[in-house]
Amino acid sequence: MDCREFNEQHLAFVDDTLAGIELVRMQLHVAECTSCAKQDAKIRRALLLFRNLPSIEPSADFSARLEARLKASQNDNLFLTTQRNLRRGAIAATVASAMMLGYIGTTLYQSDMPRDLVMPPVVATLPEPDFTPITTSAPAIVTSVSAGLTLWPAAVFAEQVPVSFANSNLELADYTR
Amino acid sequence: MADIVRKRVVSVEGATVRERLQAMDDSAVVTAFLGGEERAFSELVTRYQTRLLNFVYRTIGDREKAEDLVQEVFIRVYRHLHRFDRSKKFSTWVYTIASNLAKNELRNRSRNPLVLFQTVQKNFQDEDRPLQFEDPTSRPDDMYRKRHLREIVEESVAKLPEHHRNVFILRELEGKSYEEIAEITDCNLGTVKSRLNRARNSFAEIIAPYVD
Repeated sequence: MDCREFNEQHLAFVDDTLAGIELVRMQLHVAECTSCAKQDAKIRRALLLFRNLPSIEPSADFSARLEARLKASQNDNLFLTTQRNLRRGAIAATVASAMMLGYIGTTLYQSDMPRDLVMPPVVATLPEPDFTPITTSAPAIVTSVSAGLTLWPAAVFAEQVPVSFANSNLELADYTR
Repeated sequence: MADIVRKRVVSVEGATVRERLQAMDDSAVVTAFLGGEERAFSELVTRYQTRLLNFVYRTIGDREKAEDLVQEVFIRVYRHLHRFDRSKKFSTWVYTIASNLAKNELRNRSRNPLVLFQTVQKNFQDEDRPLQFEDPTSRPDDMYRKRHLREIVEESVAKLPEHHRNVFILRELEGKSYEEIAEITDCNLGTVKSRLNRARNSFAEIIAPYVD
């Protein structure tokens, strides 16, 4: 064992918590290393002094003072609890009053108004279907739309076609004729 | 006559309860207190007042303030005992409260020079106490030597850094295990061991010139 290892293990050595083999190694090191033996003795002596410091006792009036402080603390607690409860009560009362006032106000306001408002029955009728006749140019529009042209050019085009063409009935094309 | 008999019965009952409480471990006393037995709290005070006073006094170095702080510890225990986790050790909990209060006191003192001055002044006045208060049975030169040595030891402890001193006192004076110290000081086990090792070495170095 070297001095570094001895110093690392010294805490457990002084506290007597080392395992058997480690303890023997530490004891052997103390026996052969003067410097570590000196340090070990110095620490043990200092600890002995500290551990033997006379114990101090509480003063004679310690218990009486503690009892008085406990009573005062209990009274404080009681006071605080009472205050807290009062505060909570006051808040609850305020909320309840506000709700009551609101309710009374609403009731009074509603009493001025007619209770049952009778409205005439609503009669809904289905509007007549609007069969707007197709203008003369309509078949041309339809045909132009189906041909993939936009509506406005088609309409313009329809304006320009001869009325006879616009009024003609659409028939199946017969290419044999 | 009936009154006297009743008083005797009550006093015998009280004595029996006290004896029963004395025989209980901390956990059972705490349970008794939480169950409504007010005398259980006195039992806890009796068990811990001297130990806590020594611990706090060695930590902050002011006896009067140490008493105040120990009283504060008991007041907190009384108020918060219902919150105490009974799966843990009562003594660890109590020492944690005491340790935190002592730490706060030291912190406040370092911030407030007036408090420091008052403490110094109080300690100075303590010096003027007649020697006979120390130990009336000893010879004057013995008394002086003992008192002188005690002061040297106390001063040497006071020179340790706060976190080292705390661990040192808990271990060397209160005999707490490393694990308990770790819980009380809210440190891990490695830190506790390292601090204790350093504290022991520093204390030995500080005190060596006086005792060699």
